[in-house]
Amino acid sequence: MKFSINRAAFIKELNNVSRAISSKTTIPILTGIKIVASDAGLLLTGSNADISIESLIRADDPDIGLTIDEPGAIVLTARFFSEIVKRLPEQTMTVTVKDAFQTEITSGSAAFNINGQDANNYPHLPEVDAADSVVLSGAVFKELISQTVIAVSNQESRPILTGVHFVLADNQFLAVATDSHRLSQRQIELPTPSSAAFDVIIPGKSLTELSRMIGDDDSDVKMQFSENQVLFLLGDTSFYSRLLEGNYPDTSRLIPKDASTTVEFEAPELLAAVERASLLSHESRNNVVKLTLTPADNQVTIFSNSPDVGNVEEALDPKEITGDDLEISFNPDYMKDALRSFGQTTIRVAFTSALRPFTLVPTEDTSNFIQLITPVRTF
Amino acid sequence: MQPAAKFTQRKIIHVDMDAFYASIEERDHPEFKGHPLIVAQDPRKTGGRGVVTTANYIARQTGVHSAMNANEALKLCPNAIFKTPDFPRYREVSDQIHAIFHEYTDKIETVAFDEAYLDVTENKHHLHSAVQVAHAIQAEIFDQTHLTCSTGISYSKFLAKEASDFRKPVGVCVILPEDAHDFLMALPIERFRGVGKKTVPKMHELGILNGADLYERSQLALIHDFGKFGYILYQRVRGIDERPVEYQRERKSIGKERTYGPPLTTTGEVESQLERLAEMVATTVKQKQRHGKTLVLKLRDSEFNTITKRVTQPDFIPNDATTYYEMALEIYQSVATSDEQVRLLGITLTGLAPQTFEELKLPLFDPDR
Repeated sequence: MKFSINRAAFIKELNNVSRAISSKTTIPILTGIKIVASDAGLLLTGSNADISIESLIRADDPDIGLTIDEPGAIVLTARFFSEIVKRLPEQTMTVTVKDAFQTEITSGSAAFNINGQDANNYPHLPEVDAADSVVLSGAVFKELISQTVIAVSNQESRPILTGVHFVLADNQFLAVATDSHRLSQRQIELPTPSSAAFDVIIPGKSLTELSRMIGDDDSDVKMQFSENQVLFLLGDTSFYSRLLEGNYPDTSRLIPKDASTTVEFEAPELLAAVERASLLSHESRNNVVKLTLTPADNQVTIFSNSPDVGNVEEALDPKEITGDDLEISFNPDYMKDALRSFGQTTIRVAFTSALRPFTLVPTEDTSNFIQLITPVRTF
Repeated sequence: MQPAAKFTQRKIIHVDMDAFYASIEERDHPEFKGHPLIVAQDPRKTGGRGVVTTANYIARQTGVHSAMNANEALKLCPNAIFKTPDFPRYREVSDQIHAIFHEYTDKIETVAFDEAYLDVTENKHHLHSAVQVAHAIQAEIFDQTHLTCSTGISYSKFLAKEASDFRKPVGVCVILPEDAHDFLMALPIERFRGVGKKTVPKMHELGILNGADLYERSQLALIHDFGKFGYILYQRVRGIDERPVEYQRERKSIGKERTYGPPLTTTGEVESQLERLAEMVATTVKQKQRHGKTLVLKLRDSEFNTITKRVTQPDFIPNDATTYYEMALEIYQSVATSDEQVRLLGITLTGLAPQTFEELKLPLFDPDR
């Protein structure tokens, strides 16, 4: 195998594929990056068994300056290879595989010789057929991930909650995540009618990695599924993830339908106040913030007390407030995550009682995006 | 720099039972009296295993000391009587002694079964003299238990402890605020608490042999040489020790363990025992209104190897038996080897804090709610 390529273009794809590679894997060959050179171009593969990423660098793209002198395949330790490529002196570089998987990397007058591994020993990526597929705009999909992935659980005791539940039915695409203390749900109507239907749970970690790979150019993301895998296609890059097995709990019944107190805020203003209120609570073992609502006086007060540190109180400026008086305590971290997911918008917070979950929705679209938070019982 | 007046007005007694376990054994077994006695499993019967818990003063003269390997002790003192420790019995006596303390004050900080600090600045008998209190406690302990103790009296825990060590056994020693300086200047550096095997050579190298030498060192020099401990030493040698007698000390952990004879042999047995232990821990934790972030599993196999393994979560672990059980089981599965016999299981929750709040959970997995 022998090829030459423009280094900058190569580094970009190398970085993408490296996202899937962990240096702490139990399977030694997975610490490597697989490179296959063919007439079509270079195919790079990285995998940690949960996530696999494959990227094609096309030989016919003039910006990349790829010349394939001799087709072939090799697996090179990702950590060394990436560091070497990044530090080579010239704009172009050449990779040549010699006897016994010895691989020479040259650029200008620098020459590295590193040990490679037989590409035939690299695990095969799953086959994912295109039967049920969905196409979404990259920007929409990225937003959907960022809005829901915050609520996934990071505790392995309930593995199923470490994923986001995706359901496609009747042209409605629904994503839900919960760690049992808060829940986030986003719904999108597909722009083009589709008869596809699925019900899957995708690991939150996979989605976080995926969303980092979706560029700002808003190109489409295509999703397709097999029994236990999901494949995301982003241009010439394929992103595979394992699916979580099991039945996701029915979350629709958890979202309260009525409210006894509702209040509207500019999301960034409430976020800033909660951030202030949580400055002290974070330091103590009392990570609790209390909200006191008095609709008759148009008053909302936020309060937090940390016996070891001090306390903070702030009168908030609600845009609108109706219903009964209420005093409710909650974990400010959940509130901050939820509020950040709304960006610059007005939100409506709806409460039923001090010990029942409360919800946050954007006022301009109250049915397609909801954040739910369970309160904290104080003693 | 001098101790603040409000601290030198305190009256703190350090009570240290004389060779506590050995004395209880001698009292309960008069035939042991006058012979060297070592409280440890007899190494001749255990195949050389075992550690000395304590020894009476006769045995100590041969060089036997606590924490020593029992076999080594046997070599030093071949005619010694070995007595297997009976901790439930010692606890019983310790409780009896604590009841006596409580007649005088409730400000009691228990250090061990045989050692406690008492703050008698205000005491239930309205005695002005702490020496009188110490004598009364000593007498009453002897009356009720026929055991002797040494007491040290001063205005700080550090000095009270030094004082009780000073006239052992059956002593009463007082260090008055005005005498503290002279006492400390003359105190060999080894006697300062925390100056152990590692620190002594370093002290000697720096020419610090006693309190007076220590007193000469600047605060920054001590911090440079000994870090935080240097900062503390600088204060101690000036008679400053403001630590209160912590009578309301919070429990740091809550745990339950059970030994099994015959040992457990199936996963099913282990699971059901873990479930039971989790249930017991959860009940106590809720009762004490605590919650913790770390769960520890203790396991002893047929070879008497004891393994403890812990899992710490960033947030407080919800106080419910199922969560504890699941965590404990996960740890068990990570340490258990196949065809193993389990002689002991224990679940402990540590890193406890008062539970002032509880994060409510969505009823995701119980559809009835």
